[in-house]
Amino acid sequence: MAALLEVRNLSKRFASRAGREPSPWIIRDLSFSVADGEFLTIVGPSGGGKTTLLNMIAQIDTASGGEIVFQSKSAPLGDKTSLKPGLNCQIGYVTQEDNLLPWRTCLENVLFPLMAQGRLNDETRAHAQSLIRAVGLEGWEKHYPHELSGGMRKRTSLIRTLVYDPPVILMDEPFGAVDAQTRVQLQEDLLRLWNLGRKTIVFVTHDITEAIALADRTLVLTRQPSSVAGEHIITIPRPRDIRDILTHPEFVDLYRRIRAQVQ
Amino acid sequence: MTTAEQAATLPAEPDGIKWRHVMVRVGQIGLGLVFLWLWKWGANSAGESYIADPFKVWDRLIEIARTGELARHTYVTLRISAIGFAIGCAAGVVLPFALRRMPRLTDAIEPYIMASVGVPKYALIPLFILWFGINDAPKLWLIGLLVFYPVFISVFAGIRSVDGRLLDIARVLGASESRISVEVIWHAMLPFFFSGLKISVPRAVSAAIIAEFLVGFEGIGFYIENARQQMDVTGAFVGIAVAIALVLVMNALLVWIDKRLSAWRPMDRHMEL
Ligand SMILES: Nc1ncnc2c1ncn2[C@@H]1O[C@H](COP(=O)(O)OP(=O)(O)OP(=O)(O)O)[C@@H](O)[C@H]1O
Ligand SMILES: [Mg+2]
Repeated sequence: MAALLEVRNLSKRFASRAGREPSPWIIRDLSFSVADGEFLTIVGPSGGGKTTLLNMIAQIDTASGGEIVFQSKSAPLGDKTSLKPGLNCQIGYVTQEDNLLPWRTCLENVLFPLMAQGRLNDETRAHAQSLIRAVGLEGWEKHYPHELSGGMRKRTSLIRTLVYDPPVILMDEPFGAVDAQTRVQLQEDLLRLWNLGRKTIVFVTHDITEAIALADRTLVLTRQPSSVAGEHIITIPRPRDIRDILTHPEFVDLYRRIRAQVQ
Repeated sequence: MTTAEQAATLPAEPDGIKWRHVMVRVGQIGLGLVFLWLWKWGANSAGESYIADPFKVWDRLIEIARTGELARHTYVTLRISAIGFAIGCAAGVVLPFALRRMPRLTDAIEPYIMASVGVPKYALIPLFILWFGINDAPKLWLIGLLVFYPVFISVFAGIRSVDGRLLDIARVLGASESRISVEVIWHAMLPFFFSGLKISVPRAVSAAIIAEFLVGFEGIGFYIENARQQMDVTGAFVGIAVAIALVLVMNALLVWIDKRLSAWRPMDRHMEL
């Protein structure tokens, strides 16, 4: 498979405030690549720079060094004004915070990208409705974000990206705020959707089980300044039964090896 | 019935809150009566050539309402304040939105705009009359300027306050800059805008009245000044009362619009009183 997205020697430090010591490197010489249609999961310690990494891939934040190559084109990463957030809707991004528009209802938030891209019609509307049903938000369409629970907001923000079907989706702990049952449900839904469309997904999580259950490949990041600590090809055959994955013989071995690398 | 519908049909207001509503009303009426009594007492002790008797003010109000004088003067003042308000308001909203796209220009002209806030606008009336003649134009300039500044400053601050992450995500989702202005920034800055408007409404009316002291033969300002020239203290008080009523009505309208535009905001019962 050809590399769709390549991160080469990426480094990042934030501008330091006046009167403070120079800010530390958050990411240092990070390199990896993502193949077309691959499901890559990334685990790493909290504060390690995972969100920062996704922000740079989505082009909403600048890099301090290295490059990010998407479809053989290198992104201009130095200057905030030359960034192209989402690369013309080719890269979807489900952020760690839900970032819903508080003055739009659940449904209006889900329809927002379609409206913004001028693709709102009966067909896409129906698709949005079916996604709302799929994640169990039926009956809550007319509620404003502050009237929804944290998990419901998370699901709304997830389908707000799924609804316009970008070829690459970055997800930052999308299932962090939901209960174990819903979580497994959402993971299965995500796998099903991914199987249908074979999107490229870069999925950040704290949960090693989730990382193994979903992925073709799992990347483990080090502590700050983060770089790649290890890489694991997940060969558990698909379609997978997430509820039974814990008992899979390969799983136990993978889990042990990954946990040893996550400090 | 879905869970959401069930939640909506539950009784929302406990009795305690209703009781508090009543108490607040009683308190408001009580304060009004105290104020009226103080006014009457002031009129009696200072003499009616300084403070008009509240009951005579009321009688005069009824009288000019009957002759149509009230409606005519109110209309003139309302018209000029509304037009001036609309002009100042439009400029105060459009300019910050335009500047948002030109950060370098903004940095260059911001200190000048902020410095011009300090210019005493009323002091410009004679110049406006000199430049634009004795008609509506100097009045509109004065009102427009007085409305412009609070609106401009609050909208400017509102635009700056918008959560940058929302802007980033809206861009990732494919929104163009103009759509972001309409869909994200507009909503986020509305509370700021309305606090600017609440300052501007009484300003617009006072500016109209002051302009009418000097220019023209109609309007509440003219009515007050004319009454003063004839030593008619009751007339002056009537004019002031009408001006206050005008501001109150415009403010109520504003609050109503604000509520409709921000129906999404979490509502605080205690502030709803
Ligand atoms: N805007 C910023 N300015 C300065 N430092 C920042 C900024 N954003 C993040 N950081 C720093 O970068 C480091 C990595 O943050 P990041 O949010 O990427 O971590 P993370 O791996 O996503 O953590 P978590 O798993 O808890 O979400 C942190 O030490 C944080 O303090
Ligand atoms: Mg994070």
